[in-house]
Amino acid sequence: MCGIAGIARRYPTGVSPETLGRMAAAIRHRGPDGYGYYVGQRVGFAHVRLSIVDIAGGSQPMTNEDGQLVIIYDGEIYNHPELRRELEQLGHVFRTRCDTEVLVHGYEQWGSAMLQRLNGQFAFAIYDRREETIFIARDRFGVRPLFYSQPSGAFYFGSEIKAILASGEVDAGVDPRGMDEVFTFWGARAPRTPFAGIASLEPGTYGIWKDGALWLRRYYELDYPEAGCEPTDVVEQLDEHMLRSVGVRLRADVPVGAYLSGGLDSSITASLAAAASPDTLRTFSITFDDPKFDESVFQRAVAADIGSIHEVTAIRANSIAASFPDVLWHTETPLLRTAAVPMYHLARLTRQCGIKAVLTGEGADELFLGNDLFKEVQVRHFCLRNPGSVWRERLVDRLYPDLMAHGRGGEFWRRFFLDAGARSDPLFSHLPRFLLGSRVKDFYSPEFRAGIGGINVMAELRASLPARFFAWSPLNKAAYLEMTTLLASYLLSSQGDRMGMAHGVEGRFPFLDHRLYEFSAALPTGSKLRGLREKEVLRRWAPRVLNPRISSRTRQAYRAPDAPSFFGPGSPEWVGDHLGDDALRRVGIFSPPAVQGLVRRCKAGRVTGFRENQALIGILSTQLWYQRFIENRVSIDPLPLRGASVVLDDGVSVPA
Amino acid sequence: MQSSHSEIITRVRNFIKDNFLYMHSDFQLGDDDRLLEKGVMDSMSIVEMIEFVESEFGIRTTGDEIAETNFGSLNGIARFVSGKRTALAAHS
Repeated sequence: MCGIAGIARRYPTGVSPETLGRMAAAIRHRGPDGYGYYVGQRVGFAHVRLSIVDIAGGSQPMTNEDGQLVIIYDGEIYNHPELRRELEQLGHVFRTRCDTEVLVHGYEQWGSAMLQRLNGQFAFAIYDRREETIFIARDRFGVRPLFYSQPSGAFYFGSEIKAILASGEVDAGVDPRGMDEVFTFWGARAPRTPFAGIASLEPGTYGIWKDGALWLRRYYELDYPEAGCEPTDVVEQLDEHMLRSVGVRLRADVPVGAYLSGGLDSSITASLAAAASPDTLRTFSITFDDPKFDESVFQRAVAADIGSIHEVTAIRANSIAASFPDVLWHTETPLLRTAAVPMYHLARLTRQCGIKAVLTGEGADELFLGNDLFKEVQVRHFCLRNPGSVWRERLVDRLYPDLMAHGRGGEFWRRFFLDAGARSDPLFSHLPRFLLGSRVKDFYSPEFRAGIGGINVMAELRASLPARFFAWSPLNKAAYLEMTTLLASYLLSSQGDRMGMAHGVEGRFPFLDHRLYEFSAALPTGSKLRGLREKEVLRRWAPRVLNPRISSRTRQAYRAPDAPSFFGPGSPEWVGDHLGDDALRRVGIFSPPAVQGLVRRCKAGRVTGFRENQALIGILSTQLWYQRFIENRVSIDPLPLRGASVVLDDGVSVPA
Repeated sequence: MQSSHSEIITRVRNFIKDNFLYMHSDFQLGDDDRLLEKGVMDSMSIVEMIEFVESEFGIRTTGDEIAETNFGSLNGIARFVSGKRTALAAHS
């Protein structure tokens, strides 16, 4: 796993090694083990390497036998040994043992149809020097990132936006639509980003650039062909999928570790990894000083059960604020939560312990209806079928027992959920979350609000829903929205790839094996959410690998301390600077008097609800992000040609 | 100290403006406007407001009393508080 970047010019006027060197330097953190270039007349490629498979032979860029195709690639193809055998039988000759080569020969053999055969996580670019095309592709769920920009017919792309900006040839500006999406969906939805003129390649999509034009095509669609009842051997099938998913993700030439949150999903992945791993498994966890967030008791229990070597990173009250600016450099987007920050620390710990790849449990909540949101959907539908039934409404209380503990909130709490939208609205399931997040927009300056004008990002989301969406059950509609908004646009990027790769740690997601996804998508929703019991079939299977005490544990959603981290004793001075009137006016997105009201409440310790916490984080992160990316040019010294492990040019010949 | 109906309304309105409407400087909150409409307040803000009303006017609320009739509008709150204080005075 790695970082890639490149440029294609409309006309063959050349790409300088220095430009490529700056693009590579900007994403060096993704590939500290080596780097390489292809320097052509029309196209330039840069690659930074995190060596996990075929350490000795796998340097990039790489070519096919006659050098016509040049590839740079970030990812893992878990079925690469099987694909290699197939391609060898078709006459292809391999020089290395790595999966990169499988891609380039696979493209030679099957073209874009190759993508259907891949089981993995990937983002790559292939330059066909005869056809003068660039083929780009991204995996089905958006695990690996790929951004691009097309100013005046040229084509820039990179694993991170900072690589594109580091070229010095693409300007950084704010996209108000992208910002509005961040404040509604927690992250801009591909193809949008918070940057004007810079797009994100959608998951399950490939593109072909030629003569200044980019053609995009979907190769994979999320679908929910829900069966009427579950197969009689559903637990056996799930067992097979889980073992296979984890098994292939342990394939590496370096030890693979595991994150352990203490919850069901990562306990499963870690347990399976421990059983299948040739060495003693290394596990890594986050602990919090504040008991409201801490899960260390459960983490230690799992680590003891599976016999792993367990390490923790402790998040203290002031860790969040101190790391926030660095985190934003990596996420490249404003945030509504601080949950990414502990993940940043976790990846650093993992790297310090010498581990470059980890298994982790993301995807399970989306596949098996684990999030609280899915229970809310059940309850809200139930209540709205019989409005006015007090008994039905009491069910809403069961969703949040802590809040109900002192008889507080009551009817109003229920109203919030029940009035959040009509059952006929396709976005029904997500309206409470979208409406809550968009309270940040209350703080927009009049100028920014006027500039947004007729933008309605929720209407655009509705319009983008595929026709088949409307035939799905309410829970599957919610699952689809969760996969495409929260998972792809935020969890896998800001909390996942960006935080891991900040320290050169690759995340591997057994629950996002597409065969497992398809298996779960075909199950009746009752197999996943039975009443208010989430991930039901997963819990039925889990005792095969987990202590029942863990498989029956109540779910605790992962959260980190938000607004309080930035105020109070020990908080950094830059918080006040960025939230001051001058800074706010300079950035121009938020209204100074409105923000001062919020700051006043933060300092008084009154900001306890989601709404104001998200507003504070959203505003502060935007201010920091703007200064880092918009006001200051991304300017970096290039990684020099002489240190590269591979340098190819138009006179490229096949290496011996 | 007895507070008149309108005095209660003024004090609660000021609390709401300072804590939940500071980002909408032009917003006019009417005496009968429903507080949960248009996202003026959400469930957490209602909880905060109830705590304010209890401490500001020296009353206690029970779970059943946390209902729209008593806390759904400024007028509702003022009626509820007045009623509570009258009852307290009658019993003391």
